[in-house]
Amino acid sequence: MIDDLYFIEKYAYGESIVHRLDARIKLLIALAAIVAIVALPYSTKVYELGAVLFALFALLWAASRLPPTVYLRRLALILPFGIFLVGFQAFVKNPYYDVFHTIATLPFGIEVYAESVEFASILLVKFVVSISFIILLSSTTKMQDMIEAAGRLGLPREFTLTLGMMVRYIFVFAEMFGRIRTAMETRCFDPLDRTLPYRYRLHQVGYTVGTIFIRSYEQGERTYTSMLCRGHGANAGLYIRRKPLRHGEIAFFAATIGFIVLSTIVVYLQP
Amino acid sequence: MHIPDAFIPLGQALIYWIIALVFIALALRWARRSMGEEKIPLVAVLAAGIFAIQALNIPIPWGTSGHMVGAALAAIVLGSPYAGVFVLTLVLLVQGIIFGDGGITVMGANIVNMGVVGGFVGYYGYTGVKGLIGNSYAAAFIAGWASLFVSAILCAVELAIAGTFPLGLGLTMMGTYHAVIGLIEGGITAVALYLIASARPDILERPAGVSA
Repeated sequence: MIDDLYFIEKYAYGESIVHRLDARIKLLIALAAIVAIVALPYSTKVYELGAVLFALFALLWAASRLPPTVYLRRLALILPFGIFLVGFQAFVKNPYYDVFHTIATLPFGIEVYAESVEFASILLVKFVVSISFIILLSSTTKMQDMIEAAGRLGLPREFTLTLGMMVRYIFVFAEMFGRIRTAMETRCFDPLDRTLPYRYRLHQVGYTVGTIFIRSYEQGERTYTSMLCRGHGANAGLYIRRKPLRHGEIAFFAATIGFIVLSTIVVYLQP
Repeated sequence: MHIPDAFIPLGQALIYWIIALVFIALALRWARRSMGEEKIPLVAVLAAGIFAIQALNIPIPWGTSGHMVGAALAAIVLGSPYAGVFVLTLVLLVQGIIFGDGGITVMGANIVNMGVVGGFVGYYGYTGVKGLIGNSYAAAFIAGWASLFVSAILCAVELAIAGTFPLGLGLTMMGTYHAVIGLIEGGITAVALYLIASARPDILERPAGVSA
């Protein structure tokens, strides 16, 4: 996952109307879309709202001028656990249906139910729409901007300061992690190499984990000391300058949130 | 074990968020009181380190790879279950919002599963077993194993309550899988603790070792 850090942040530095949009607006729109699709009860109505929200996502993605391959690559990274949970649904009954009709019987007495397949597809739609908006958010917004936006929206300074520090040092440790891996490779050590005794591999990985822990703790100590030198104290916080929203941004925000809320209500209320 | 969005209905997800927020508030209070408010940046940098630790490929006996959670290790070294809560909350926030690993609405549940359970089971498992047998490393092994196993069981129960994964199947599948993965989490926690106790014994809240 740490290898994708640079991949994600590289695209966040792009130039487009979506990239320039205030991070607060992107954060709230992503949140609204996710809450809307999650809030809709498990039923086939999810397909309709899913299609509407996915169209909104596709429109914004097109406006961000990022290649579709970026979206697909990021999607492929996130899917596995969700797909495992979704894929399993087809073979089990769930409490959201009363009657189950078998459509196929597999060896070992495993049955596939029509209702369960439908439920799996509903989950998949909800899941894909949710992560699409997260991908849009993090592919078009720099991490530091996101933290400042969260601060402007009222996140307490304890969190903005700590998250700001963490995000900054993730990149430092990603580099360190890369160097550790290179060091392992130059010594022909692969933790997954089955020709080596298992105990030996576990020890080496354990020492590496301990080393990363100590190195990050020591980095924390150094950072803390240098912050003290610059006057850091109990009441210090991340400095966030005021940034008024432009009229166009407010209009776009109101229209998009209105669209999400309205389409959710319309889909929910229709028979 | 990162539950994605949509697998827990909104109402239930909200309840987990409330539980998580209570523990986050307690963890903040712990950080202010026992670390000293100004030392919070140190924990933030450490969280970035745990993020890197989670990226490491861990060998699993049958040949695939897994990943560590590290909540137990953080809680044991810093000497408080809240260290696990604090560090994992930061890690899960970044994983959820930047990487899309673990959902937004269900983040509360993920924080409860990995941060709260990982931290509390890890820390009290460690101190409890250490008090009984006097061996820090065996205690760290058991605590690391238990933290992951209990997390997985809780995750299976939450999904069963949500109706998105049947209880029996979830308990056997998630339980068996993580009972094995937990052995590795435990083993690595013990080895890492040994290294830390040898190289930087001063950063351990309580001295580790094997009493005669």
